Amino acid sequence: MSFSVNLRDVTLKYGKEDALADVDLTLEAGKIYGLLGRNGAGKTSLLSLIAAFRKPTTGQILVGGEPVWENAPIVSRVALIREGGDFDDSDTVKATIETGHVRLGFDADYAYKLADKFELPLTKRVRELSRGKRSVLAAVTGLAARAELTMFDEVHLGMDAPTRDAFYKELLAEYMDRPHTVVLSTHLIDEVANYLEEVIIVDRGRILRHEEVEAFQGMGATLTGPAESVDAVASGLEVLAEQRLGATKSITVAAAPDAPTRERAAAAGIEIGPVGLQDLFIHLTEPGKNGA
Amino acid sequence: MPALASSQLPRRRYSLGLGLSWEVLRYFKYWIIAVLILSFLGPLALSRYTDIDLSAWFYTANVAKWFSAFVGGGFVYVLVPSLIAAGVTRRELAVSLGVFGTVWSAGIGAAAIGGLLTERFYYGAMGWTQAVELNEATAPIGTWGETLGFAAVYPLLYLAYFTAGTVIGVASYRWDGTGWLLVVPILPVLFSLDNALYNTKPFGPGWLGFLGRFVDEAGRGLVLAAIVLVIAALAASAYRILIDIPLRSKKA
Repeated sequence: MSFSVNLRDVTLKYGKEDALADVDLTLEAGKIYGLLGRNGAGKTSLLSLIAAFRKPTTGQILVGGEPVWENAPIVSRVALIREGGDFDDSDTVKATIETGHVRLGFDADYAYKLADKFELPLTKRVRELSRGKRSVLAAVTGLAARAELTMFDEVHLGMDAPTRDAFYKELLAEYMDRPHTVVLSTHLIDEVANYLEEVIIVDRGRILRHEEVEAFQGMGATLTGPAESVDAVASGLEVLAEQRLGATKSITVAAAPDAPTRERAAAAGIEIGPVGLQDLFIHLTEPGKNGA
Repeated sequence: MPALASSQLPRRRYSLGLGLSWEVLRYFKYWIIAVLILSFLGPLALSRYTDIDLSAWFYTANVAKWFSAFVGGGFVYVLVPSLIAAGVTRRELAVSLGVFGTVWSAGIGAAAIGGLLTERFYYGAMGWTQAVELNEATAPIGTWGETLGFAAVYPLLYLAYFTAGTVIGVASYRWDGTGWLLVVPILPVLFSLDNALYNTKPFGPGWLGFLGRFVDEAGRGLVLAAIVLVIAALAASAYRILIDIPLRSKKA
């Protein structure tokens, strides 16, 4: 079983300031979601509400069809893993892993297998770990929680590239083995893009876009070919990003090319590919834009 | 915290509470052993140079009050983020802390009573006087029955200090930088009642007992009733602060 998530008219205020405003969001059970947003956009606040780390100022949050706040059968099967983890720093790594038993579904054997795989020093205290190893410990506790809804909030920070790659692969393997709902909040967008089914973009405390990855990729295109031809075809289109290598140029545009443009591109030897999620995200959340 | 292992959701809150008591003993085991050794071997060492006419265990039992406050406050401060993040509800955590405080206070209360009685036997065998410091002089604790009566209220006092520490700990987590200021109203009330219960020299900062002038003349029963009321009020306050506490944002 995996959990769905429903937020209805949810607002969260810090003092007089809205961290989130009028959020309506539905996450279907059993999918992998990407949560994107600039710094301070409200990603962590949104995840904190879903995991009942905080109470919304107004609105309703249902997880698995039930209110999540103070609902032990639900929150015991929801895992929000924040960067660096919420640990007692004076505990050893082993004791921290054992604390996972508080959760009903916690799989200690799996946790120790992962700890071995990621070379976590079991006898070291958490405060003695490097930032990277601390992130790994957080990821291990999140994966071994075997929760019905697992959310990772920038948990990869501090991990080196091979460790991040191993973490993503382990996450996917665990998902394939036991389908559940996963939310990945990250700034390393292109790194996770291939794992995501749907993407939610949060901007200034509101849900800016919530679409399937393919829908996002269809919102623009990347034109690659001889520089002069690419410039000619892209003329008049909104350019999100461009790269040049010798005589070859690649331009990302903010709209899917229409049929005549595609024909002209093909005639000029230009390849048309999907837009990069990161380029599109930057475009959509540019200050002054409203995401339209 | 390995002892926090839990098997079933309905019982989780109770097993957590019991596990916490074990965790404290495990965490502070060397300190506890050191204090036990010091309390019983210290007088033996001192007896070579001077007469022993004060109960060492009385000091140990009093230190345990402040230690109980520290345990209550320190543990709740650490447990709020780690257990709520591990999928424990605030209500479950509140019940766990109630079980923890009760078991802890009863446990070290029993140890305090047992220690004073053991010490009475020990001092008697060595020909020493098991006395306590009053405000102006020292006085023997008394017969076996009087010693038991003297020690019998320790579990209640430990619970009072534990609950006070818990309120201050949970407030310090909730209101970063200002929550600890709750020590200002809480400690004088608790310390004054503690001093009113024992007519001994105050153990700790004596000026904190300035409210004692209002209860000094009250009977022991009335003071005990007041302590029970204060425990209830503190427990209610801790529950109120905890029940909708938000987890702090993580700092990079």
